[in-house]
Parts: sequence; C-alpha cells; structure tokens
Amino acid sequence: MKKSLYTLVLALLVLALLPLPVLNSSARAQEKVTLRVTNWAGVQEAAEFQEIVDAVNAASETFEIVYEPKPSDYYTQLQTALAGETAPDLFWLDQDHMAWAYEGVLLDISPYLANDTRDVANPDDYFPGVWQTVALAGGVYGLPWIAQPVVLYYNKDIFDEMGVEYPNADWTWDQFKEAAIKLTNENHYGFTMNGWPPIHMFIWSFGGEVISEDLKSSPIDTPEAMAGAQFYASMIWNEECCPSEQTIAEQGFAEMFKAGKVAMFMGGAADDLDRVEGLNVGISPVPKGVNGENVTFAWTAATVINAKTQYPEQAYEALIALTEGIHNWKIVSPRVSQANVEHLVASEPRKAANAEAIIAAVPYMRAFRIIPRFGEWSTIFWEDFQAPLFHGEDTVENLAADARILLEDVLPK
Amino acid sequence: MTGDPGAFATYYPTLLRYIAVAVGLAALMFGVYRLLRRLGVKREPATGFVLVLPWIVGFLAFVLFPIGLSFYLSFTEYNVLWDKPRSLEDPLFNYKRALSVKIVELPEGQRPLQALGVLESPSPETVRFRELDRFRWGNKTYLIGATDPFFLKAVWLTLRYALFSIPLGLVGALGVALLLNQKVRWVGFWRTLYYLPAVLPAAAVALLWFWLFAPTSGLINSLLKPVYQLLDMQPLGWFTDKDLVLPSFVIMGLWGVFGANTVILLAGLKNIPAELYEAAAIDGAGNWMKFRHITIPMLSPALFYNLVTGTIAALQIFTQQAFIPTNRDDGWFVNWFVYNEAFNFGRMGYASALGWMLTLLIVLLTLLIFRSSSAWVFYEGMRRDRGKG
Repeated sequence: MKKSLYTLVLALLVLALLPLPVLNSSARAQEKVTLRVTNWAGVQEAAEFQEIVDAVNAASETFEIVYEPKPSDYYTQLQTALAGETAPDLFWLDQDHMAWAYEGVLLDISPYLANDTRDVANPDDYFPGVWQTVALAGGVYGLPWIAQPVVLYYNKDIFDEMGVEYPNADWTWDQFKEAAIKLTNENHYGFTMNGWPPIHMFIWSFGGEVISEDLKSSPIDTPEAMAGAQFYASMIWNEECCPSEQTIAEQGFAEMFKAGKVAMFMGGAADDLDRVEGLNVGISPVPKGVNGENVTFAWTAATVINAKTQYPEQAYEALIALTEGIHNWKIVSPRVSQANVEHLVASEPRKAANAEAIIAAVPYMRAFRIIPRFGEWSTIFWEDFQAPLFHGEDTVENLAADARILLEDVLPK
Repeated sequence: MTGDPGAFATYYPTLLRYIAVAVGLAALMFGVYRLLRRLGVKREPATGFVLVLPWIVGFLAFVLFPIGLSFYLSFTEYNVLWDKPRSLEDPLFNYKRALSVKIVELPEGQRPLQALGVLESPSPETVRFRELDRFRWGNKTYLIGATDPFFLKAVWLTLRYALFSIPLGLVGALGVALLLNQKVRWVGFWRTLYYLPAVLPAAAVALLWFWLFAPTSGLINSLLKPVYQLLDMQPLGWFTDKDLVLPSFVIMGLWGVFGANTVILLAGLKNIPAELYEAAAIDGAGNWMKFRHITIPMLSPALFYNLVTGTIAALQIFTQQAFIPTNRDDGWFVNWFVYNEAFNFGRMGYASALGWMLTLLIVLLTLLIFRSSSAWVFYEGMRRDRGKG
C-alpha cells in the first residue's frame, strides 16, 4: 500500500516534468519569445484587450504575448512584483504613476524610437501636453495610449426649461458660473464639483501653474493661480449653483447628473454620461481661459516596458503593436493624426453625436507634469491647499503661501 | 487553462519551481533525519523534528528573515522599486523623522510653518515641522510642532481604539460566554451561531459594516430614523464624520467579541469545578458573590489570555481600514499609515522604522499587562503548590 503510494507520487512528478523538453523544442522551432503584459482591466475591458493581444500575436513572428489582467490592488501588486523581479515585460501606468520612471524600473525606449519611422513611434504625432508624461528624466518611458480630455456634459432639457442658451466653446468662466446659478432651482443644480474636475485645469485656465516647467517650483501663490483656485472655491459646495458636500455624499456625484438633478457636469470624453436612458445630453468644450484657449485636463495613461525585461527588442515591437491597436480602441487617441471625427467614431460609434465637440476640446488638453514624488506632492496639494480652501478654513493667500513651501520641499532639488 | 501554448509556457516554470521546492524540502528532511539518527537521536524525536522541519524552513524564510530585513531597512532609505536600499548619513533619521517634536513661540504676524522650521539632521529630503497643536500661555501663543504629525495622530487614534475596544470586547465576550454556559434549549446551535464571526473573512465583514454604517442608505441609520426624528437631529455620518470615526471602528470591532474570545472563555467556565459553587452556596453566597469570588478568579487566566491577544490585535488593526476610506488627518490607524508610506509614497525604509516603533509599543504594553498579572490572575495549580509549602 505504502509502496504503491510512493510509486504513484514519483510517477506524477516525472509526468509533470515531461512537457518541458517538448515545449522548449517547439519554442525554438517558432523562435517566438513569450512576453507577459498586465493592466488593471476588469472583465469586459480585459476581453476587449485580449482581442487586441490575439491580433498582435497572430501578426508577430518574434513574440507571443500572454495577457494577465489584475483588476484589483494593481499598483501594490505591480510594485511587489517589480521588487521581486517577477513583473511582466509590459504594463500600463496612469500618469500619476509615471513617476516610477525616475526610480529606474522602466525601459528608456528613446533609442528605439530614433530608428523607427512608423507613425505610432513618432513623438511629434503625440499631443505635447500628453507626451510630456512619458518624456521625462532625459528619456522616453512608454507610449501614451489614451488622452481623454475633460469636457462639459450638459442636460439639454434643463437648459430648455430654464431658458438658458446651450454652452459653447466661446463661454468664459464668468458666463459659465452665471449660467450655473441661473440653472439652479429647487429641482436641480446648475453644476457640481467635489475635488473633481481637477483644480489644476482651473489654475491653468486662469494663467497659473501648479508645477513650473523646470519642475523646480510650485507657484500656486501667483495672482493667476490664486484666481483660478478662488474661482473653484467660490463654486464648490456653494448651493447657489452646486450641491453641498453632504448632498453629494448622499446622492452620489455623477449619479446626480444621471438622475437629472444637475444641469452641467465635467467628465472625461469617454464617459457614458451622454448615453443615459431618458436624458438628452450634449457635450461642449470647457469654458475658455484668460488666453482664449479652452484649456482642459487630459486623463492619460501609457504602456511601458519593464527595465528588466529579458527581451527588450521584442518588447518594444510588442509595445508598438499594442499601442497601435489601443489607439483604434480607446478614445481619445493621443495622436494628432488621429484627432478627427472619423477616427473617433470608428473607435467608439456611440460617441458619434458628440464627436465634434470632443475633437474641439482635444488641442487644449494638458496632463500633469510628472515629478519623482508625485503621489506625495498630490496628497499635500489636496490636504494642505484644496481641502482647507474648499472648507473656508483660511484665505487663499495664506493657504497658497504655506502649501507652496510644503509642495516645494517635495520637488526635485 | 485556455489551451493557449503561450500561457502554459508561462506558468510551467512556476509549476516546476513548486515541485522543486517540494522535492528540495523532502531531501532536506531526509538528510536531517539521517544526521539526527547518526548523532544518536532516537527514532521518535528525530521523526517529530523532521516533520516540523518544513514549517521551520517556512518560518525562517517568510517570517524571521523579513523581520530581520525590515529592521535593517529601518536604518536606510529604500523604495521597493529600487534594486537596493541607500544608506543614510544619519542612520537614525527615520526614527527622528517620526518622533521629533518641539515647542516654539509663534511670533506676531508669522505663519506657523515659518516659526517651526525644519529638522536639523543630515537627511535625503527636507523634513519640516508641522503644527500638531497650539496653546496660549501668558499672552503668547506657543506651537507644538512635529515632523510627522500624522504619525503621532495615528498612534493616538490607535491607542484610543485599543483603550475602548478591549475592555468593551472583554466584557461582551464574558457576557456571551456566561449566556452560552446556561442550560438553554439548542445550546449547540447557539454556540455554533456565536462562533460564526470567527469563520467569516475579515475583508467581507469590513465591507458589510461599511454598508451598514453608510449615512443615507445604511441599515443602522434607517433603524435609527425614528430616534433621529424624535430628537430632531441630523442622521449621524459615522465613518464620514471625523468625530465619529473612532466610535464607528469600536462598534465594528465589537463584532470580534463573538467568536474565538467567547469560545475560550466558555471553555474556562466549563473548567470551573461545580464543587466550588456548591461549597459557596452552603456558606450562603449569592449569585453575585459566586461570580465575583469564584467565576472571575477561576476565569482570570482565560481573561488574561484574551486581554493580551486582544491588545496586540487592536494595536495592529488594518483590514477594517483597508476597506473603509477615512481622512488621513483624523482617521488613520498606525498600520494603515505604515502601508501608505511604504506603497504609496515609496518610503519602505521609513515605513519599516514605523513598524518597529509599533512593535516596541506593543511589546511594552504587553509586558505591562504581564507585570500586572500577578495582582489579578489566579492560577489554580500555583496557589495550591504555595499552600502545600
């Protein structure tokens, strides 16, 4: 009895080892290397991404991509995998995490880009406000796959009811605020904010900066920056135009717009706010700022290559192929040559009705400037500037002066 | 498996490593057994030792080694994304950063940040004193500044949590154990029911409580609705109200009362000899006298055990917070704070130092409880021996 058990276990072990030589020889015959790729996609998104991976695999003779979606605790898992040197060859990073480039874990692809004539590898074909999230620390650390501008969604029925003209790209911020107040009555609010949309875009629009171009200062105490912040503070949770913090906590944020209780909402261009059953929604670029441009925030993310990949050349080829595929899937593509209504509608037919307004928003979008300790910087910016400002704990001058000191402590010296 | 050869090729090495570990462990066990036998160890103890060997190897690799490494890391600057930690000019920098406190006068017309200044220590980054609190003395304003006020607040919150949740938990567990010790119908069913919390995953329980406490849609507030209306007050915000964060966590923590704690106390109750009660009854003792002078002393070792493990667990609270977002300024416990420093701010060295300080705090409190035990914990065997002498 005992003996036969031992024999069985040994036999199983031998069996488990058997496929190895077979696999190795078949891999050699095809000369395809295996590349692992991961992202945060949930079920539906992962299935769509798998289709792109399948198409890329079918077309490649040098690599085979294995896709491993990680929908929860993405960044903690990824950091641990990188530390343990078991991270995939390619992965997604949103702009907040592009700061990892400074820590040496991402592959600098600029030498490959220099010898590549394909459009998708041409830095000039990417919107500069988005390209800067990958072109940092003296190299290029990935390719952006999306540049989703914040646009103004508006509920046409509420506008009609209140006799207010629909928003357009020529609106100034004052006109916008005036309309938000006019659109507010006991049934609905004109606008809503709760820290989103990012205050950065208001500061930019009023001519200020939160991080200077050389990344060495955070001039949030300039008159322009303070004007933008003050404008934001004058509207947020102010019941003249917008729901209170309590109301948002109870009824939800975007949910209130979907429920027809808010007339205007700033959301990403790809959001589903314009296809809510029973809601008649239009899209406009956000109001224009002091220099006449409709400056807006771009939510962007990139596919990057693990600096420790065994196969950098094949990984680069995979990056190019995947990025090309994603640019025909996600909206809005970050490439200038694809910033047109036809391309957008081909990628996302459900946006056909509002495609023009989205394309109009694209030229003026900007992403964050990426600094090494970006997460910490953002926490301070919220805790020591925005939160106390929105709650009226101190004047914008005092808060900006203090916060600037704290923010600049974190900036690279 | 999808039948995709690429996927199989990826996971195959993992399977191989898994098998290699098993084979390696088996070889090690065999080798150690041979060695022990050659050294003259008897068959049975040698077998016993060899059988726990895999556990010992796991303990060394996955517990002791990380503990030692984190101690080393606490004297370095380290981001998990780096290949190796960087040495610090001042090895104690991480500890100073966490604990430095100073009191300065706030001169008229100055902002607190200016008055407080920076930490004077060779450091890889600027560390500034932040206002923790202020007070007036004479006609001057003084500032209490700390280099990491958030950490100190987290320690304070964690201590208060322990202070409230442990006694409440002990009393609650004792009450339930006493109830379950009664001769009631279906006692087996009740005992199983009250043990259920120990079986449920902490994450699921945390989410459940988060929903129960939700200000508008939560069950607790809808049950309390009549009370709110009666008192003409706003519904409580629970986790969203900074003054109620601690009570909410304490209430939620009471859930752990049932489960293992109750079972241990119940076992303790069962162990109390019935003769003691009978003798007391003959001497005319009432229920309270019996409870006070027999049940409590006889149960004190079990209570002591629950107090020690409860204290350790309360100070290490983490899972609940991972599922319940609260404000860093007034709602973070130490472990959550440590996690954030390590994984969101990339400061594993600093986080290691914080972890060690929490460990030290736990050890100190545990020692204190142990020292106090001679005053109130009664071991039957011990007293009897003393009586004999």
